[in-house]
Amino acid sequence: MLKILVSISLVLAMPVRAAEPPATVEPAPAADAAPAVADAPAEVAIDPAARAQASRLAIGVCGTCHGPRGISQQPKFPRLAGQNANYLAAQLHAFHAQTRGDPDAMSYMWGMAGTLDDSTIYALAAYYAAQPTRAGDSGDPAVVARGAAIFKDGIPSESVPPCATCHGADGHGVGDFPRLAGQHAQYILKQLGSFQNGLRNVAIMHGVAQGLNVSEMRAVAAFLQAQP
Amino acid sequence: MSMKNLRPRTGPLVLLGILVGWYSIPAQAVPSFARQTGMACEACHTVFPELTHFGRTFKANGYVLDNLSQVRGINAQRDELLDLSKTPPISIMIQISETQLRTSVPDIASPDFNARSQNGTVGFPQQISIFYAGKIAPRIGAFLQLTYANDSATIGIDNTDLRFANLLVLPHDHSLVYGLSLNNNPTVEDLWNSTPAWGFPYQASNAAVSPLAGTQIDGALAQSVAGLTAYVYWNESLYVEFGPYRSAKQGSLNTLTGQAGPLDGAASNVISGVAPYLRVAYERNWDRHSIEAGVYGLDVKLFPGAALGTPTPLAGLTNHFRDVAEDFQYQFLGDENIFTVTATRIYETMHLDASYAGDAVENPSDDLTTARIYGTYYFRRKIGATAGYFSTTGSSDAGLYPSAGPNSAGVITSANNAPDTRGFIAEVNYLPWLNTKLSLQYTAYTRFNGGASNYDGVGRNASANDTLYALVWFAY
Repeated sequence: MLKILVSISLVLAMPVRAAEPPATVEPAPAADAAPAVADAPAEVAIDPAARAQASRLAIGVCGTCHGPRGISQQPKFPRLAGQNANYLAAQLHAFHAQTRGDPDAMSYMWGMAGTLDDSTIYALAAYYAAQPTRAGDSGDPAVVARGAAIFKDGIPSESVPPCATCHGADGHGVGDFPRLAGQHAQYILKQLGSFQNGLRNVAIMHGVAQGLNVSEMRAVAAFLQAQP
Repeated sequence: MSMKNLRPRTGPLVLLGILVGWYSIPAQAVPSFARQTGMACEACHTVFPELTHFGRTFKANGYVLDNLSQVRGINAQRDELLDLSKTPPISIMIQISETQLRTSVPDIASPDFNARSQNGTVGFPQQISIFYAGKIAPRIGAFLQLTYANDSATIGIDNTDLRFANLLVLPHDHSLVYGLSLNNNPTVEDLWNSTPAWGFPYQASNAAVSPLAGTQIDGALAQSVAGLTAYVYWNESLYVEFGPYRSAKQGSLNTLTGQAGPLDGAASNVISGVAPYLRVAYERNWDRHSIEAGVYGLDVKLFPGAALGTPTPLAGLTNHFRDVAEDFQYQFLGDENIFTVTATRIYETMHLDASYAGDAVENPSDDLTTARIYGTYYFRRKIGATAGYFSTTGSSDAGLYPSAGPNSAGVITSANNAPDTRGFIAEVNYLPWLNTKLSLQYTAYTRFNGGASNYDGVGRNASANDTLYALVWFAY
């Protein structure tokens, strides 16, 4: 595995790190992202060799948990296919910097991302962003419908804003805000819990999650899992 | 062969050599992997030493995944010449135990063995191990264990698995890991916890009474062989492994040269040529479930050598053991609840030509079947329990499972010359931290060495060997 990392670091050209972010880049939304994330470019030129190595790394190493093309079969591990590259890069930087503190991040990803350099992070992010997505299983229609309402309209009485505001009407993510469509419901539920109790230190999501009870979280998660 | 032709003392000697108790097989997990990878124990283990799917993949890939600062060397062609962790992957393990038998064994110093040896055996330590467990070079890693144990009071080689592994990405995004394992215990290189070397019980008392019978692949050859096996792990699902094992005995001196070899008739149970080992397993993972089913086996021909009672040349007839086994494992990995079932059944046929010619066994052929099934539950990886059933049955043989002779203390004898041993085992565990395990284990025998009551012919019942075992297990 390490050879892959070494090769990537040898092959990739330094200018990737020095690339200026395009004007369209929006600020990173997460406080649990590493400081460098604010500079993460939305579009970086990924060296073909780095792209190939990232593919090998994703299939052979990351794929053990996340699936070879980012469609994980286990709800403990998030689906990464089609995820926004900027969001992925921000999270990998946060794991690398050990600033994202939910339990699975700490147990798995702090170590996994420990040796990743910026070039590898951007190549991996690009790899997953380019993978075809797939909707997950659809749950109880009533629960999904309730989740859809919360996603689109929020819960005004609890000051919960519509999720769609930041994550897009279709849940595909907007800018640096992550794609949620097709994600494992159990994973979303766990993340909402981590935002709520502060294990993931993201101010905006902490505020949102404060207004959600478990039943509402389950509904939103069930809705999102079923989205293409 | 008539019973009177048997030399009474040869049976136990043969047994010592070929039927090493499966009960004292050590099993470990090592924090140096956690240091090397930067991942907590739970990435690779449900609770140590049981592996998760990720742990199995880590092992198949040669223990090389790392997160440490490296000392590196390349040449002008960018070939990697060195890739060495700045921190060596060293771990220490300490096991402290207390063993209570339902009825202690006779004190051999007492007249007619009517006094009992001290019950409540303290092992302090029962075992201390030092490991090098981690990457050696870019595609080579090691799990290497040296152990001090209080029964031998010496330091010796323990489970060892040196690996080369490489990953290929196949069309349609399928992965193929291929590798070589150089190891010293058949199944120590295996990825699942349903096979002997890493199967439950992960640790057991070395101060209890072990049954006479056990199959070859069930620990009898551990640390006295070397195997070079080649394996493929396709798509993290299909696992196929094949390779030869050959005797690599520890502590054997050639009488003439005074050196570590060549092995001669003063050694016991030496493999004739090489013994082929085969393993095929299929694993499927979905949702929070992981299921595996497989087969494994070993075909070994042993020269009994000194196990016949006197040094005997390593030539001519052999004892031929063929072990064919099946195994099954199921894991459920919830965030709070973890449940595991492991099971195996080993069927062994023995063609004991050498021992039969040497009057050391009653029958030219025997068979033995061992079956085990265990279920484990853990809550939040802190509190857990295991319960299970084990059984060994087979053909009777007065040479393999000898009766008590005159003036015998019994205990490790069989009144009816049968190997049958079965019973239940239950264990509760508390882990205040992921690398510290406090265990209380109870083993209850319904049958031991062929009988339930007076199994040894000297009045001891199977239940007398019931064992309560308390263990403190640190790994750091």
